[in-house]
Amino acid sequence: MMNEQKTHEKYDVIIIGGGPAGLTAGIYSSRAGFKTCIIESGVIGGEAASTDLIENYPGFPDGTSGLKLTENMEKQAKKFGTEIIYDKVIKIEKTNQLQKGKYKILVTNSGKIQTKAVIVAVGTKPKLLNIPGEKKYKGRGVSYCATCDGFFYKDKKIAVIGCGNSGIQEGLFLLRFVKKIEFVEFLPKPTAEKVLLDKIKEYENVNFHLNSALQSINGDGKSATGITINDNTTLKVEEIEISGVFIYVGLNPNTEFLEGLVQRDKNGYIIIDKNQNTNVSGIFAAGDATIDTVKQIATAIGSGARAAINAGHYTENTN
Amino acid sequence: MSNPFPKVIVFTSPYCSWCKRVKSYLQQKRIRFTEVDVTKNSSAARDIVRRTGQQGIPVTLVNNRPVIGFDKSKLDRLLGIR
Repeated sequence: MMNEQKTHEKYDVIIIGGGPAGLTAGIYSSRAGFKTCIIESGVIGGEAASTDLIENYPGFPDGTSGLKLTENMEKQAKKFGTEIIYDKVIKIEKTNQLQKGKYKILVTNSGKIQTKAVIVAVGTKPKLLNIPGEKKYKGRGVSYCATCDGFFYKDKKIAVIGCGNSGIQEGLFLLRFVKKIEFVEFLPKPTAEKVLLDKIKEYENVNFHLNSALQSINGDGKSATGITINDNTTLKVEEIEISGVFIYVGLNPNTEFLEGLVQRDKNGYIIIDKNQNTNVSGIFAAGDATIDTVKQIATAIGSGARAAINAGHYTENTN
Repeated sequence: MSNPFPKVIVFTSPYCSWCKRVKSYLQQKRIRFTEVDVTKNSSAARDIVRRTGQQGIPVTLVNNRPVIGFDKSKLDRLLGIR
């Protein structure tokens, strides 16, 4: 059943995106008896599934891995009847179908699919720096996923770009393998939570380059061998030899496909009201792709539940 | 006509969500494969880098031809999946 999209299949609720917000919406919606499906274009669990250790999600006093946590959410959603389809939604058709009470049509890579309500929970993707060497050495020294690629840098010196929560958290994971980390942060101070900064300070094999911009990723044609950084104040340029660069400089929402239909802010985040409604009747949004400024699994869960409950009310009222 | 019994090896690690995606896709398509956990097998990790230049997983070898990441269309082509 999974992956085999049924053309003209009709659902009560379709959730676009299978991260924590989407999986929670799936649990609530299918448990409430609505015919529900999640359409996921990448991996179930989203960005959360790539996080090695989650310490602030309630119910896990010793922390848990993002993969385990989201695998359990997936099991729970499937148990209540949520179907999962691996496909990419290209657009939501902008026709009179968007009128209240009508089925909405989602166009995917494999065809068309109909639903009464839509919950957009598409999350975010890592922001690129668009500097020389970044694209050339992607997968050959440049990575955005410590849990996927960290082991390849065993006993090597690497750089982590960005000292927000993601950069420091993933740096802590990478320190299991690597010899040394050179952290580079554009701002004068790291922006990660104190609890993470306190942990990283316990390591002697880390070095911080604050107030510094990454100018280029250098290499020998086959793989990355170094970085060039520029001090924002002194303008001093420094070259550092490393074997790998892990980049965590922020996220962009995966909302391009909503262009011209659903209102977004200037950065692409979906504008919602307190009930997770978008500007289009019957289209709801939840999780990190919305304008909610707190991007945490715990808040994504809450918004997914709220979106599902309100999508359920909408669905019932449109029969 | 594709080989009905391709030799498929998937290089993974226990933390990798995209590795899980590759494995579940192959299982769904009833493709038999051997899994190699690179965190327990350093020589396998070196072998991936030597063959592909790739410093990351998942990497799938289909009859020795590498597929980087979860590249569904390339997997389908090499495995004869329609």
